[in-house]
Amino acid sequence: MGRPGFKGGKNVVILPHRHAGVFIAQGKEDALVTLNMVPGEAVYGEKRITVEDGEKKIEYRVWNPFRSKLAAAILGGVEQIHMPPGSKVLYLGAASGTTVSHVSDIVGPEGLVYAVEFSHRSGRDLLNMAKKRTNVVPIIEDARHPQKYRMLVGMVDTVFADVAQPDQARIVALNAQYFLKNGGHYVISIKASCIDSTAQPEAVFTEEVKKLKSDKLKPQEQITLEPYERDHAVVVGVFRPPAKEKS
Amino acid sequence: MLALFETPAGYAIFKLLDEKKLAQSENLYHDFTTAEGASRVVKLKHFEKFADTTEALAATTAAVEGKISKSLKKMLKKHVVKDLQDQLLVADAKLGNAIKDKFNVSCVSNTAVQELMRCIRSQMDSLLAGLPKKEMTAMALGLAHSLSRYKLKFSPDKIDTMIVQAVCLLDDLDKELNNYIMRCREWYGWHFPELGKIITDNIAFVKTVKIIGMREYTSSSDLSDILPEEIEEKVKEAAEISMGTEISEDDIQNIQHLCDQVIEISSYRTQLYDYLRSRMMAMAPNLTVLVGDLVGARLIAHAGSLINLAKHPASTVQILGAEKALFRALKTKKDTPKYGLIYHSALVGQTSTVNKGKISRMLAAKAALATRVDALGDDSSLDLGAEHKVKVEARIRLLDEGNLRRISGTGKAKAKFEKYHGKSEVKHYPVAADSTLPTKRKFSEVDQSPKKPLIEEIENNESERPKKKIKVEDESEVPEADYEKEQKKKKKKKNKDLEEAGTSGISQVEQADNENVSPSVTESGKKKKKKKSKQADESEKVPEDSMDVSFADTSEKKKKKKKKSSED
Repeated sequence: MGRPGFKGGKNVVILPHRHAGVFIAQGKEDALVTLNMVPGEAVYGEKRITVEDGEKKIEYRVWNPFRSKLAAAILGGVEQIHMPPGSKVLYLGAASGTTVSHVSDIVGPEGLVYAVEFSHRSGRDLLNMAKKRTNVVPIIEDARHPQKYRMLVGMVDTVFADVAQPDQARIVALNAQYFLKNGGHYVISIKASCIDSTAQPEAVFTEEVKKLKSDKLKPQEQITLEPYERDHAVVVGVFRPPAKEKS
Repeated sequence: MLALFETPAGYAIFKLLDEKKLAQSENLYHDFTTAEGASRVVKLKHFEKFADTTEALAATTAAVEGKISKSLKKMLKKHVVKDLQDQLLVADAKLGNAIKDKFNVSCVSNTAVQELMRCIRSQMDSLLAGLPKKEMTAMALGLAHSLSRYKLKFSPDKIDTMIVQAVCLLDDLDKELNNYIMRCREWYGWHFPELGKIITDNIAFVKTVKIIGMREYTSSSDLSDILPEEIEEKVKEAAEISMGTEISEDDIQNIQHLCDQVIEISSYRTQLYDYLRSRMMAMAPNLTVLVGDLVGARLIAHAGSLINLAKHPASTVQILGAEKALFRALKTKKDTPKYGLIYHSALVGQTSTVNKGKISRMLAAKAALATRVDALGDDSSLDLGAEHKVKVEARIRLLDEGNLRRISGTGKAKAKFEKYHGKSEVKHYPVAADSTLPTKRKFSEVDQSPKKPLIEEIENNESERPKKKIKVEDESEVPEADYEKEQKKKKKKKNKDLEEAGTSGISQVEQADNENVSPSVTESGKKKKKKKSKQADESEKVPEDSMDVSFADTSEKKKKKKKKSSED
């Protein structure tokens, strides 16, 4: 719904995506974009698109699906990412904060993103990014021990996990038990070679989904991230779904 | 039963009103769906707020490690230990053990407890009515940041944003200062135009205007501490005959206010520069030592942050700041620029123009290393920077005096050049060659050595000694390279002619010519070889003979001598 900006001859039209908070930029090449919460700054050197809406200038940041699993999932056609503006998200495996910044853009200033990352090097970049964005709470802790950061995190609506660990099902289950509300959703990115490098990817995914089911994490959809990643899958589901009313 | 619940704002102790609920923990969440339901199950007994962020940080760190922090200890002592029979529900088993050891209070931490904690957390805002949600979020944020910084050992010295901002401010100040000074000059120029031309220094001008005010007061004002004497004289003269307009008190007051501003900004600029220098030294000592503080700060500002600068390869550091020229050159396939911001560093400035490119490259390489040590290293020392600077200075010196390094070997030794001996030597006419008298000495020497006499020699012994000498001389030459076969043939022919002619002197001279013209060694060597093939080794005494025939070709003589020695 943004009007084209005639800067340097580039005409770009911004359309809202099916998911709230995400947009599509249609120009010479189509790109997935999010509304930049800190206009004028790029987090990891990504391209920025400025669109003039009458008097105001609105800036969007391009979301690279090759670098972000969530963007790949969105472009792959996942039904729901469960991160509407104003929601609280627990992000496990935040790394340097490239995807976290986009999630922060999506949930907006009313929402909150708790970014958990164990590595110190990435943690530094995460911290720098979090300085500019007040809705990102950086936590430099091991996600395997959620009790360690229980003081910093409240209840969240969604858990996003991109940890690439063999016991990631257990990690997600533990964190969900601590922090995910009843009926809350989870989005997990599974890397088949990380769980078991010898088995077939499909078998690995099925096994992981079984593990999740046993921990009350009911899966709702599963898509692969082709063509952006190889042998990756994203599973979306609900935690402790509210019991259906028996009429 | 009491439940200990940690929040970013403080510790909360809840009293579990209905203990049976804990047994049916699966359905516990039903009660906690509403705030009223929650308050029926648990009641806030006590809330211990953190006094300040330091205390909060200490408490959080302790919670992370599963230890009891001071504030927790105090609170537990005051509120929990009293009811000893009560159990304390804690979220962390490790913490529970620690509390049990310390206070002898039995702590429970199992799945049911986890469920309870979870429910409390979901209704946290309503149960802790005293704190608004926003404040809780803000506290959580601040706490998370300080905790992370503590974990990553963040030191405020190492914040490069200060440097980036300071450099940008410095540039802004310069621009503004320039604007104001130009405006001041122009404005005051209406009243006293000559002053602008006389005083070229900006600060001096501004101070003068401040003191003088209206033209009329020039003669009575004392400008000795701002201006040198002659200029002060000129000013006072010009004030008398100035052609500027009159202005009112109001106007001059405004101009003087502007002057105040200029002086203030100017003094602030020097202060800012000092601040920048001290910050640069604290944050990136190695880089500062190598390229200087201003250039270093500009590089950091251009890259965005110190870590960003560390990520750039040395070739990028070399041309940071010359992007326009770089991409223009890349697009039009021309030569790319050799230096960017690095050009303004002291080391590149002090080299001659031809060597600036080389030094800029070397300096960029060292600067990249220094930046990486500064950005990612643990301790801040300037050893590396100082070492590199010494190397670069040594290279500058080397380039200035011409680089003479040996190509083969380690490359560290200086190339040694042998003194060039000019091969052009003046030939003298061998006077001794004119003599037809036999030299007994040589002959006797020849006799003493056992040698197989040449058939020809025996035949022509007395009568044609010179010829023999020639021949012998020919034989004496050591066989060497044999690429001049034509000349050899020519010589043979000539020799034959000489023999036929029988005139020693002429033949000798001719021979001399012949020998001088061509590298005699080869041809005569050939001849000798031939003769040698006929007979066995001889010719040891032959060179002695040849010495008589002095061609005054010293080099050849030397060669012969050498050959003689080699033969011997």
